[in-house]
Amino acid sequence: MRTIFFLKYYFYVFLAYCKFLYSYVIYKFADYPDEIKVAALISATCVLAIVILSLSMLWRSRVEKKKAKQLERIDRKYGEGMKYILSSEATELLSEKEIERIFGIDRDELDGPLLKNDREKRMFVDTFYTYFVSQRSEHSRTENTHTMLQMFGIPEFLEKDVSLGSMKHKADALGKMRMFKLPISLWVINKLLNCRYMRVQRLAMYSNVMSSSDSALDYFETDFFDNNCCIKDEIELGFSLQRRRKMGLKLPNLARWAQIQKNEKTQCMFVRLMRRFDEVEYCGELKVLYKESKKKKLREEISRTWGYLHYVESEDLLIDALLTEPDDTKVAIMHALTRLDTGKSLDALLDGFKNTTNPHVRFEALRCIYNYGDAGRALFYELERNCSEADQKYFTFFNNPITLEKIRLDKEQAYHPSVETVFNG
Amino acid sequence: MWLTIYYIFAYVVFGYTMLLIAGYVWLVFMSRLAQRQLDVNLPDDATIKYLMQGSPLTPAVSIIAPAYNEEVTIIDSVNSIMQIDYPDYEIIIVNDESTDRTMELLIEEYKLVEVPYDIAMRVPSKPIKRVLKSTDERFSKLVVVDKVHGGRKADGSNAGINVCSNKYFVCTDVDCIIEPMALYRMMWFVVNSHKPMIGVAATMLMSNGCLVEDGKVTEAAVPSTFFPMFQQLEYLRSFLISKLGWSRINALPNISGGFGLFDTDVAVKSGGYDPMSMAEDVDMLLRMVTYMKNNGLDFQLALVPKVCCWTEGPGSLKQLARQRTRWARGLFEIVSNHRKLFFNPHYGPIGILTLPYLFMFEFIAPVIELSGFLFMIWLVLTGGVNWSAAFIIFGMIYVFSVFISFFVMFFDNRLKAVNWKSTKVSYGKLILATLLEPFIYHPIITYCSNVGYWRFIVNTTAVWTPIQRKGVRKKK
Repeated sequence: MRTIFFLKYYFYVFLAYCKFLYSYVIYKFADYPDEIKVAALISATCVLAIVILSLSMLWRSRVEKKKAKQLERIDRKYGEGMKYILSSEATELLSEKEIERIFGIDRDELDGPLLKNDREKRMFVDTFYTYFVSQRSEHSRTENTHTMLQMFGIPEFLEKDVSLGSMKHKADALGKMRMFKLPISLWVINKLLNCRYMRVQRLAMYSNVMSSSDSALDYFETDFFDNNCCIKDEIELGFSLQRRRKMGLKLPNLARWAQIQKNEKTQCMFVRLMRRFDEVEYCGELKVLYKESKKKKLREEISRTWGYLHYVESEDLLIDALLTEPDDTKVAIMHALTRLDTGKSLDALLDGFKNTTNPHVRFEALRCIYNYGDAGRALFYELERNCSEADQKYFTFFNNPITLEKIRLDKEQAYHPSVETVFNG
Repeated sequence: MWLTIYYIFAYVVFGYTMLLIAGYVWLVFMSRLAQRQLDVNLPDDATIKYLMQGSPLTPAVSIIAPAYNEEVTIIDSVNSIMQIDYPDYEIIIVNDESTDRTMELLIEEYKLVEVPYDIAMRVPSKPIKRVLKSTDERFSKLVVVDKVHGGRKADGSNAGINVCSNKYFVCTDVDCIIEPMALYRMMWFVVNSHKPMIGVAATMLMSNGCLVEDGKVTEAAVPSTFFPMFQQLEYLRSFLISKLGWSRINALPNISGGFGLFDTDVAVKSGGYDPMSMAEDVDMLLRMVTYMKNNGLDFQLALVPKVCCWTEGPGSLKQLARQRTRWARGLFEIVSNHRKLFFNPHYGPIGILTLPYLFMFEFIAPVIELSGFLFMIWLVLTGGVNWSAAFIIFGMIYVFSVFISFFVMFFDNRLKAVNWKSTKVSYGKLILATLLEPFIYHPIITYCSNVGYWRFIVNTTAVWTPIQRKGVRKKK
């Protein structure tokens, strides 16, 4: 109250000073030409702005110092406990009593909640979040994190921020809740889905994808992304689907979503996600998309996906397409055929090598032949023996121990539920 | 008649000054908006790392650093670049046929051997003699390119682009000190952009006076020496107000050659760096923009003020003059080579706003300032000066320049763009530089710019002389 009074007082003093300054300038330069008056007024404004900026900087550094002190206090008090809970040592399920003991809290001495106000809660959750994203062990238990957060009243605080805070606070709180795997009420999410801020809207959608039942996943039944899809969306969506799988929930039909979307980038994103989540079940549905689509990048992604997911039924379609597709897609098809490894595609790969002048495609074809089992390796050595002088450079590259690393087929790791670290799940 | 000329000149210059002030105020406003956007869109480092580190979608980056006769610093510099924290990157050091032991030192230190490499010469550069990689697994990210001497950084950068295999590349100088989190922060903008991101700029700062420990700046400070101190203020003003403001409307005019990220494909299609250009970085960016616009492609350009790249600035007047004369020639080249972009609405905000601004207030300004100075001398000699009016006009310009510099400090304070060791001392030095700049530094820059223009007009052969490095304060 006292601070507000003083602030108000200083504000009025400042206003009076401004008024005096402008009156003085106008009075002093009343007889001068207009351009001099303008120059004097600009100078006066600049002087005032310099004063305001200096005061603002001083005020800000004071506030930040205070904040840093508070953060330090929270860190000193709870930091060690937080680190312990996030470390690999705390693999057992901890009770509230044990967590209290870790933090050195004595309930009898307390006459109120552990964290007194929202500011303390914000500091606490910020400190914990920093440790969570930087020091968390993959063996630490989510249940312990939840118990600890519940004890300090953090879920309610974050949910309040999500529903009542500013857009920045909403986005921050949503992001944190998702990271901590805290459930968010469906009504809150539904409210945010109509939000006009794209970031908040999408975060809400990703949170829902992570935790809701199958029936609720109908965002992509329409053209949700509408040309506004970026790599981060794929990262975030992958992150949510990974969590969903870990929770034992079934993944949605990504092939269907790919069919519904109109934008090529979004379609490719869903096809890639299918590949990374080993969604073999819906591979067949991509056949229609492959045949009908005129989008080269999409066909490239579908070919790759079939290869990675070992969808053998697509082999004939891919061999036929190898003759007609452009170079980039050709390379993807050859890699897919190599991964399918049925023993039927060696001739197609050899044709891929012979029927092109593009050095990149030729190199990739050789790479696929080299990796196509024993028969492929034998063919490779035969080609090496009979190669022309111009082709010699490809084989030199293969024979070097340092560049041999490049020759192996690219490995794309799938998001298996058992692999915690693949996606920082 | 003389009186008419006098009045016309006085009013033109006054109008020009008012326009300049309006332009600056608008840029301040735009950079403030850009900051607000950054506040919401750029999360903390830990979150960025958490999301990007484990994701297979994080794009790979090639870091290209041309080197010529850098035997004194090459190993430290490469070690510094290797400390960058990013999941997928390669470092391409391009040796421009150094006459000292640069190449031998690299081979010895990193156990390099020649490897076969299939190089498509996608952009023009002098022939590549050999490509070397390390037999040591620890240095598997390092690729060293040995090429025929080209004499320009642009030629070396082009050779690096020819060798690079990733979708994005960063072009830097071998002596630059880069923050470990720099790539994460820059790439965050790439993965977060709905339009194809063709270039991301970072903030360049003076490393003179900073303490460097194991290739990292551990104590950031404003240089205590005269010219680097002024340059620090000038760089901060340029990046935190001007470029940040332009980036808000997707009209960034320049991505510094010291540390800038580009889309390899677009850079290649627009011809890479021009080895003959004196301002190869601006030139390439403008060609990239031209390529995108002419092909009807949408694009995005960004500046990340929180990514700092530290470089050693010229410490003596002679070196400074040489550098600024070169820059002025470069600006003249840009204006003459890319004149079709100026005031052309086809090229969007860059064509109708940024380049006209560049032309009006950066290209013409030194000429107007010089003519104003000469005019003032003539008036003093003829006794035609109204001293009180002159003081008021001069006072306005002076106070306005101080106000802009204060805004820079205010922005830096808000953004925490630089983690100063002592904010009070650093800002103290910046305020000192602010107060002295119009009397000492600015006249020198104006003079050098005019000399540069003159040399371009009379077609004097341009010689690229590297800055003599004194080295930064080091602690092992």
